[in-house]
Amino acid sequence: MRIGAGLLALACALGAQPRYDILLKNGHVIDPKNGVNRIMDVAISAGKIARVAQDIAPRDAAKTADVAGLYVTPGLIDIHVHVFLWREPGGEGAQADAFSFRSGVTTMVDAGSSGWRTFPDFRSRIINHAKTRILAFLNIVGAGMGTGKEDDPAEMDAEAAAKTAKANSDVIVGLKSAHYAGPGWESVDAAVKAGELTGLPVMVDFGRINATRNINALFLDKLRPGDIYTHCFSGHREELLDTGKLNPAMEAGRKRGIVFDIGHGAGSFYWYVAVPAYEAHFYPDSISTDLHINSMNAGMKDMTNVMSKLLNLGSPLDEVIRMSTWNPAREIKRPALGSLDPGAEADVAVLRVERGNFGFVDSAGARKSGSQLIVCEMTLRAGKVVWDLNGRASEDWKTFPYQKQSWKH
Amino acid sequence: METLNGTIGRCGAVRATLIVFAVTCCYAQAQYDLLLQGGHVIDAKNKISATRDVAIRDGKIAAVEARIDPAQALKVVNLRGLYVTPGLVDIHVHVYAGTGERGSYAGDNSVYPDGFTFRAGVTTVADAGSSGWRNFDDFKQHVIDRSKTRVLAFLNIVGHGMRGPKYENDLSDMEAKPAAEMALRHKGLIIGIKTAHYAGPEWTPVEHAVEAGTLADIPVMVDFGTNHKERPLSELVTKKLRPGDIYTHVYSGLRNEQDKSGHVNPALFEARKRGVIFDVGHGGGSFAWRIAVPAIKEGFLPDSISTDLHIGSMNSGLKDMLNVMSKFLVMGLALDDVVARSTWNPAREIHHEELGNLSVGAPADVSVLRLERGEFGFADIYGARLRGDRRLTCELTLRDGKVVYDLNAITRPDWDTLPRDYRQTGDARWDAINPPPARRP
Repeated sequence: MRIGAGLLALACALGAQPRYDILLKNGHVIDPKNGVNRIMDVAISAGKIARVAQDIAPRDAAKTADVAGLYVTPGLIDIHVHVFLWREPGGEGAQADAFSFRSGVTTMVDAGSSGWRTFPDFRSRIINHAKTRILAFLNIVGAGMGTGKEDDPAEMDAEAAAKTAKANSDVIVGLKSAHYAGPGWESVDAAVKAGELTGLPVMVDFGRINATRNINALFLDKLRPGDIYTHCFSGHREELLDTGKLNPAMEAGRKRGIVFDIGHGAGSFYWYVAVPAYEAHFYPDSISTDLHINSMNAGMKDMTNVMSKLLNLGSPLDEVIRMSTWNPAREIKRPALGSLDPGAEADVAVLRVERGNFGFVDSAGARKSGSQLIVCEMTLRAGKVVWDLNGRASEDWKTFPYQKQSWKH
Repeated sequence: METLNGTIGRCGAVRATLIVFAVTCCYAQAQYDLLLQGGHVIDAKNKISATRDVAIRDGKIAAVEARIDPAQALKVVNLRGLYVTPGLVDIHVHVYAGTGERGSYAGDNSVYPDGFTFRAGVTTVADAGSSGWRNFDDFKQHVIDRSKTRVLAFLNIVGHGMRGPKYENDLSDMEAKPAAEMALRHKGLIIGIKTAHYAGPEWTPVEHAVEAGTLADIPVMVDFGTNHKERPLSELVTKKLRPGDIYTHVYSGLRNEQDKSGHVNPALFEARKRGVIFDVGHGGGSFAWRIAVPAIKEGFLPDSISTDLHIGSMNSGLKDMLNVMSKFLVMGLALDDVVARSTWNPAREIHHEELGNLSVGAPADVSVLRLERGEFGFADIYGARLRGDRRLTCELTLRDGKVVYDLNAITRPDWDTLPRDYRQTGDARWDAINPPPARRP
């Protein structure tokens, strides 16, 4: 469908071919990086954002999708998923492409499902073949997650992890420390060491706490500014004190530059933590799902459902979009992602905010009512429509030029 | 990834208290585990399309009545304004994922079922021939036995299953006897034989599939592969197939389902009289408005609605079971007819008459659907759009009487009515998502 760049330039010179491949017309653009929050048209050419402006003429585009009444945002970035499907039975990974595009996500970051021993398999079988852009936090545990080795300090080889991260710097965006049940700091220390060797951030699932291994020490002594604390509203690690107040360590950590990520998952998001946190004006930096086979059908469901939760908690829509696009892009040091900059790869989500009576479930199965639900209407990855809920980029069947098509199963 | 295992146990005491509370206060008098109250029940088998209460006990349908006393139930869910149907049965999916084989439906072209089923109201799927007798055991061990969805299977007549053209066009690997033996070994799990994708002009794949189906006393599902004048559709459906055999991809238009005048091929009507079954099998290449709309206008409705779910179809015109069902709604079918074709009809086609209905004693697989009104669009596999004013969405799904999906938390308690730092709120008698962790001995 898309014309090669050279041919396109030639055609334009002749005035015969439209300048843009696809035009998203009349949508409300929210592009936090560029401070855009109003009705604009978005034109895409050769897989890149070509222009964001008011009143781009449909005659300049090969195809125009009317997205009036909808929000046009950068493709969503979910920095906490588990999409490493094992070759052998077991594991909790989900299929990336089955969950990404239908909820507006164009980039997923696997949060430590693989370690340096298993990353080559993850990369060759999954990452390289997915249509979703898959990046990864490398587990500091060489064997990776769910392998029974997550408490074994001998598996936490910072040098080996750093070597793998450097060799795969196009995909690996950080290190992960997770699920550590030991009394000490072995897992966090090794991950930070590997982070220092590579210049990459560390994401921490803080596992089990004790009197000395607590979030105050983690945020103030152990992590570096830019490191990411995920599962921030889980309440499993004294994020909320017994008094019902937010642990002051959270604000202190934020002041130091620690990044707070949702990582909803099956066991890490509770209204009784999130509501007081919002009352204390403590909002997450990034929204992420912690997608895996045990979270997908429970309270989590998908990225837009998790975003809707924070919208209903009181974050304005443009902030929710920021937490799902530009903020996570910066957190993983991929500033080319998460915006609609002209020239950026055209990863775009078209979202609708439905009004009605909705309910949202936390990890304990407790309900909170809400009046707004974010629904994904369209997703574009590198300028191609990869999801189109209501056929907005399609033509009416009665006038559609049905041609002889090659047979697909 | 974090589950509740391995997290700190500050709430242990609260949890224990809740269990004791639940046991003492509710166990004694509840006759039913769960009561679905006030929904509009559509149950084709029992010819019900009316407001009914549905009570569930021990994973089975216990009562369907105009009114059931809520005091008799441990858990009551009000479903006014929603439709309550048997759990949807999708008899054409590809879910043999995980082998790592690329370009293969016994591999990377398949999807894992649980991510697509419950959120679309589906509780039973039948894999349509991704595996053959040589790799069915592997499929069973890797996917069927590990899925929460009820996964059944058509066994491919090709011993290697749907591993690609090299295998699927190999006439020497289409042996009826080992296929039938495997099917008989897994009676009830292997519910049919599939022939698919054959590119040659011979009848061998169909004939061997029918032979295996006859040996094992199960139906054959046919994807008729490349169109050949040597083996025309009319002969397949009027002569080769038996009553009860299933022709899938019926609205593809790839094999003369529509004749040159734009009408339904008369052979399809003739075959229907013989008892041949016609299935949708939407997929990534098998559903065109230019075929389906005229066919529905001529009264050629599908016997069963199915998705042909796989990685190539999941994000395109197909999307999920409810999207395909919605397409038939907007083409003019009544909701009752659409539901019948997604529950009781397919259950009978695969000889699982205990499924697809809400008879007392049936497994309590239940879908709760919402019929949304608005402006919607539906794309076919070519990307052509039909506009419509309604769309089905799934609110709640039960598998064997337990909640496995709950879009808007209609079964859940409001968080601010719970004790501070509450943990799990469900009950294992009706809830498969958030039951309290099992008590350790």
